[in-house]
Amino acid sequence: MPKDDAETTALKKELNDLIAKCKADQEKVADAKLAEKCGDMGDVQRIRLVVKKSLKGHINKVNSVHYSGDSRHCVTGSLDGKLIIWDTWSGNKVQVIPLRSAWVMSVAFAPSGNFVACGGMDNMCTVYDVNNRDATGAAKMVRELAGYEGFLSSCRFLDDTHIMTGSGDMKICVWDLEAGKREVDFNAHAGDVVSISLAPDMKTFVTGSVDRTCKLWDVRAEKEKQTFFGHEADVNSVCYHPGGQAFATASEDKTARLFDIRSDQQLGHYTPPGNAGFTSCGLSFSGRYLLAGSDDNSIHSWDTLKVAHTGTLNAHENRVTSISIAPNGIALASCSWDQSVRVWG
Amino acid sequence: MNTLLERHQGCSGGYALLLEYVVCLAINIGLSDTAVMDMMVSTLQQQRSVTEQLRREAAIKRIPVSVAVADIVRFISEHEQEDCLLVGFTSQKVNPFREKSSCTVL
Repeated sequence: MPKDDAETTALKKELNDLIAKCKADQEKVADAKLAEKCGDMGDVQRIRLVVKKSLKGHINKVNSVHYSGDSRHCVTGSLDGKLIIWDTWSGNKVQVIPLRSAWVMSVAFAPSGNFVACGGMDNMCTVYDVNNRDATGAAKMVRELAGYEGFLSSCRFLDDTHIMTGSGDMKICVWDLEAGKREVDFNAHAGDVVSISLAPDMKTFVTGSVDRTCKLWDVRAEKEKQTFFGHEADVNSVCYHPGGQAFATASEDKTARLFDIRSDQQLGHYTPPGNAGFTSCGLSFSGRYLLAGSDDNSIHSWDTLKVAHTGTLNAHENRVTSISIAPNGIALASCSWDQSVRVWG
Repeated sequence: MNTLLERHQGCSGGYALLLEYVVCLAINIGLSDTAVMDMMVSTLQQQRSVTEQLRREAAIKRIPVSVAVADIVRFISEHEQEDCLLVGFTSQKVNPFREKSSCTVL
């Protein structure tokens, strides 16, 4: 077996030195701890959200939910092979879109409310026009984005003409929907990309992956700006803090964390009373509450600043697969393997 | 095959995951040593690219945690009163889930 050549050896040494330098630089700026610095802030009350609407209609596990920019409508995708667009204020179904493939894992609503997208084990991302119907009366399919070498795990509209996707082939793609072509296509992680969250100013985004890391990206670039370590198992969900300076994560390792971008390190480490992995996370409008959907059928909440558990939301009868917080903060939508979707407020 | 893995155990840190992942994949699917060596040449390129990336990341400016926390706290404090999940609805008029007593034009 030939030995490592000189270059490989040198690169490996440099890599280890660089990793050590990063860690040392992070420690140098770690002049405070989150909970201690917030020690004299007022406490927040235990979370008091109740189910305001129970949305019934799916007849199989619901895997994903996402609010529209109008904070009123949301879209859900289920293994029953349907997307349902709901009016969360009345609890009514606005549209039911039958899918070609029932294996949907992720859905997205364009902020404008004009389009929805979904994808999953069909290795495609399909986009539908909410305002135009086809001959059968269902929402018109406008694009089928194919060419993925893995399942579609996450998608988010940048605007009505561009969508970003993360997939099991470890890549991020940005598609031009008008041309139907990929604008950007790059290897993002050393494992499946599982979650994407766009910054409030839409100039950057974070990704979470089964390789246990999260990465920060500039929308226009193909190389990550920063990588965040800390989680000890798959990162299942990432969510930008509304202030744009930090992001929350939830993981299979049964913790949720808060990472700060400018100091390049983990600030908060949130654990629940029980012992189950987290599937999804979100932050309230101000960012004071961190919420995470769990394998234990509940949604856990924490005071983001004081790093304290502030209660659980119990109503689902099976794993909570996805949560979405309305852009104006009035409500939280959650969906579950128990086939239901709940709106909490 | 085992010696390949042993040599790579020298790599520490999350970035070595990439190299390890590719090599383990090759070994697990039963590729011959020659095939794995070919993959390692391309993983050499990946090693270069991973190292270049880390050079970039090591060079970024990091601000003190105390400043970062102060900024987050300021944002939260400024927006807390508008956070319905935290403070509830200011009046029933803004609550879209309230029972409606009469018809409203939407």
